[in-house]
Amino acid sequence: MWVWASLDKILDSSQFSRDIANFHIIPFGLENLVAIVLPWLELLIGIGLIFGVMVDGAAYISSGLMLLFIVLISQAILRGFNIECGCGLKEGQLVGWEKILENIVFFGASYMVLTRPKKVFELFPKSLLSD
Amino acid sequence: MGRNKQSLIYFLISITVALLYNFLSMTGIPLIAKPLEKVTLEDDLTQTILTPQIRKIDIETAKKLHEQNVLFVDARAEEYLKEGFILGALANDDLGLLSQEIDDLIGFEKAFVIYCSDDDCGSSEDLAYSLQGYGFSNILVFQGGWKEWNDAGLPKEYHE
Repeated sequence: MWVWASLDKILDSSQFSRDIANFHIIPFGLENLVAIVLPWLELLIGIGLIFGVMVDGAAYISSGLMLLFIVLISQAILRGFNIECGCGLKEGQLVGWEKILENIVFFGASYMVLTRPKKVFELFPKSLLSD
Repeated sequence: MGRNKQSLIYFLISITVALLYNFLSMTGIPLIAKPLEKVTLEDDLTQTILTPQIRKIDIETAKKLHEQNVLFVDARAEEYLKEGFILGALANDDLGLLSQEIDDLIGFEKAFVIYCSDDDCGSSEDLAYSLQGYGFSNILVFQGGWKEWNDAGLPKEYHE
């Protein structure tokens, strides 16, 4: 999901920057910097989760990002903004409660990975079956 | 290695790769966004400009331009048009057809105005950038949009 969501944003950071700006929450024109860096963070944690590289860190960031997105979308809805979410999964998807539910599910999945009981199939750091 | 350290590594790699990619990419953007330049009628908005520009206007300027029969384009999705739209405005969800319509009416160099729902919508700016990609060079974004126009009781029309 993270890998898929990041690709359009990496290829069109200008559009993603405008999507971020529409949330009216980031000051001083910093939406460009967020639009440049965030998709790469999404891509890297996505790859990390798929291939078992620094899974704890990837799941930790994934959970944090999902919580952040839930807050951002909620404030946009409460402020009455009728804007595209810029989530990268479906083109033209507007912010809405459905999107929040979707993110709660993704947060749950990230949290499950973060609190998994056994660390197996991890490439780096190498898993120890005795963990 | 703890999750905090791993997270820090993810952040550092992401920042490095992202900045490098943005610097080398043909579609790279400035690190800090610049807001659209605000212009008024005193700037002679209808003159031909050499460098393609997207600029924003307020309701007073939008009203004057409407009186001068400058073309207006509605960027809202079709379902919102039932609420009404600015008199004479074009609206088409198909970007290619919309581009063709604008070209047929005024060509690529004359100024026209794009608007959406209100100050917060953003789709007028998105459409402006898309149409700029089609070659239109003098695009004005009316940021108050339909809400401000309608609240001011300015000319509007409805589709059945």
